[in-house]
Amino acid sequence: MKLKKLTALLLAGVMTFSLAACSNSDSGASSPETSQDSGSSSAEESEPSESSGASESADAGESADLSGKLTIWTLAADLEQFADKFVEENPNVETEVVVIAPGDYPTKVETALLGGDDSVDIIVGEPKMLQSMYDAEFFANLDDFGAKDYEGQIVDYVWQVGQDDEGIQRAISYQITPIGFYYRRDIADKVFGYSDPESIGKLFADYDTIIETGKTLKDAGYRIFASDAETQHFKGQSSWVIDGTLNVDPHRYEFMDLAVELYKEDLTAYAQQWTAPWYQAMSGPVPILNAEIQGGVWDTDENGDPLLNVWDADNFNANVENYSDETAEVFAFGLPAWGVLTLRDNVGDTAGKWGVCAGPAYGYDGGTYIGISDQSKNKDLAWEFVKFCTLNEATADWWIEASQGDTVSLVSALEKHAEDGNETYGGQQLYKFWLEQAKGINLSNVTEYDTAIDAAWSNAITAVKTGEKTKDEAIEGFYDEVAATYPDLTINRE
Amino acid sequence: MATKIKKGILYLALILLAVTCMVPFLLMLVNATRSGREIMTSFTLIPGDSLKDNWDAVFGFFNLFRGLWNSFKIAVPATILSSYFSALTAYALTVYKFKGKNVIFYTIVIFMMIPGQLSLIGFYNLISGMKLIDSYVPLIIPAIASPGTVFFLKQYLESVLPTALLEAARIDGAKEIGIFHKIVFPIMVPGVATMAIGSFIGNWNSYLIPLLLLNSPKKFTLPVMIASLNASKDIGTNQGAIYMALAVSIVPILIVFCFCSKYIISSISAGSVKE
Repeated sequence: MKLKKLTALLLAGVMTFSLAACSNSDSGASSPETSQDSGSSSAEESEPSESSGASESADAGESADLSGKLTIWTLAADLEQFADKFVEENPNVETEVVVIAPGDYPTKVETALLGGDDSVDIIVGEPKMLQSMYDAEFFANLDDFGAKDYEGQIVDYVWQVGQDDEGIQRAISYQITPIGFYYRRDIADKVFGYSDPESIGKLFADYDTIIETGKTLKDAGYRIFASDAETQHFKGQSSWVIDGTLNVDPHRYEFMDLAVELYKEDLTAYAQQWTAPWYQAMSGPVPILNAEIQGGVWDTDENGDPLLNVWDADNFNANVENYSDETAEVFAFGLPAWGVLTLRDNVGDTAGKWGVCAGPAYGYDGGTYIGISDQSKNKDLAWEFVKFCTLNEATADWWIEASQGDTVSLVSALEKHAEDGNETYGGQQLYKFWLEQAKGINLSNVTEYDTAIDAAWSNAITAVKTGEKTKDEAIEGFYDEVAATYPDLTINRE
Repeated sequence: MATKIKKGILYLALILLAVTCMVPFLLMLVNATRSGREIMTSFTLIPGDSLKDNWDAVFGFFNLFRGLWNSFKIAVPATILSSYFSALTAYALTVYKFKGKNVIFYTIVIFMMIPGQLSLIGFYNLISGMKLIDSYVPLIIPAIASPGTVFFLKQYLESVLPTALLEAARIDGAKEIGIFHKIVFPIMVPGVATMAIGSFIGNWNSYLIPLLLLNSPKKFTLPVMIASLNASKDIGTNQGAIYMALAVSIVPILIVFCFCSKYIISSISAGSVKE
């Protein structure tokens, strides 16, 4: 009895202690905030002279004598190269680049910045992380440093993705990531008799045409795509929400039909994106798994583990013969501009036989956006670095060379390299192509609901294509899911 | 004849078990010698010829030996501290009778059940308030309080320590702390070694807390360094380098295991035979 009392007392003590600790840390966290506010206001005061000096030096092509230490937290190893180049040109600057695995990056940045860490100067984000980073006010206001003066020098959509809801510039990317179809020129010549991007683009002009193209290719013994996820980027740019009402554009239903038909008509090779057979399809024939196997009817061993694991190249190649004796070559991949590098590294002997063409819709995916931590004590130097990475033509030239074909976001550099041919793609002028694709991207329909609604819609599509639900049931389920996630939205069920 | 068949089946089962355990390791070693592209597209147990390339790729990103040394600098002191202080605590809880002894013991048991991740942000704020971010101190010192180890050692001591031994030492005039160092600790060594292996592996592989607390790449531990290999744009090309780094990172664990495994076996069988 006595013991129980004592234990209860002790636990109560522990709880009050931890509560006290919480309130302590709260007050501790608020003090750096206030000091940081005063810090940023003083930065604003000193800003005009700084920014004018900086833009002069940028115009001269040589940076002024910069000195200090920059700490950069990144999820893309690219920034290491940028930082080395920056130091090369500004010998008095010291940089420390911390590369963090992308999956853990938001955790690391959130914990550190919410904990009031002021040691980091440059932070980055991918588009899908940016919104929450804007909301948490991790990024400094770049307009304070004169970012507005550079409007128009960067491809428009990138500039807009880097703005928060109030239109304040928070981050800028050095790359553009518009989407396109990468296709095999040799297969096109054999099946269609032509292979130039203009004409092939017409084969992908809309969803019905893609199905037609897929059927033609299947009859000729090929497959149009390796996975049915190749069309995912081309789902169109209609707005999910208009004036607080859920808007399911007719285009969305067409996209659903496309995904379902690609699957049911056996038009793809049934590989999953980023799995071993998917990579294999870039360099040659792959085994075709049928719809039933992809639907999840796997045989399992005595431990309940699947006998065929598409995520494991070793397992897949050892066991695939038990499931399929049919192989085929794959015609096209739908990937953003960075796919140029993915294909280059994986196409093997088919290098030089590829081409890139436009798809049925505009869009973009990914990209690393660079910004300044709002708690940094070194914002002026950090801004010089952001400008160096994104707004400096010499850097853009160097990066095109160093990355062997990454697509930069600086318009003047893209125009300058417009005539450059890429050998893997039969000498196609890719920079010109991507710049045109990027111009078609329209961000006015982006809403805060997109991520969740997109996920719900693709769940519905998966349910229909695997035959788990009928189309009507799946759409009904989609409405339910959206209604549960966003109770405030008006939903007109059709 | 019957025993021979039985033995044969037994050996077959054991060999099968051994192969199942060894193949993943073997694959890791083989993959360390193959290029990312080969790993993504084909399966074999025959070593490739990309060992040098993978080695260079790893060292292009960071110095693997620095990572090994950093992990070593954290894992060894943390293991020693947690072993010594846990043994001390367990000894006190087993041998002495004092007020609140049970309360302390039950508190330890309760804290054993709270996962460390729960207090992560609070821990970060505490450390940041103490200005110890980017230092090894918060990775080493908290190891002193390891409730799981205390619990295990207390149970262990209760089964192996005869009180007559302590009384004999006291009659001969030994001091209490001397009794612990000279008599009790040597008896506890098998138990301590068992927990030390677990604690060493835990500290060696620890990822989340070093990731959050360490900011300069120079101070990164091995798991944090290896994870950063995934940050390349095309994960496939680094696959070989990741296997390479992993293969190097398990070497110390293997050494520690070889060194301590005889204690594990003796501690598991301890207590079954009474002297």
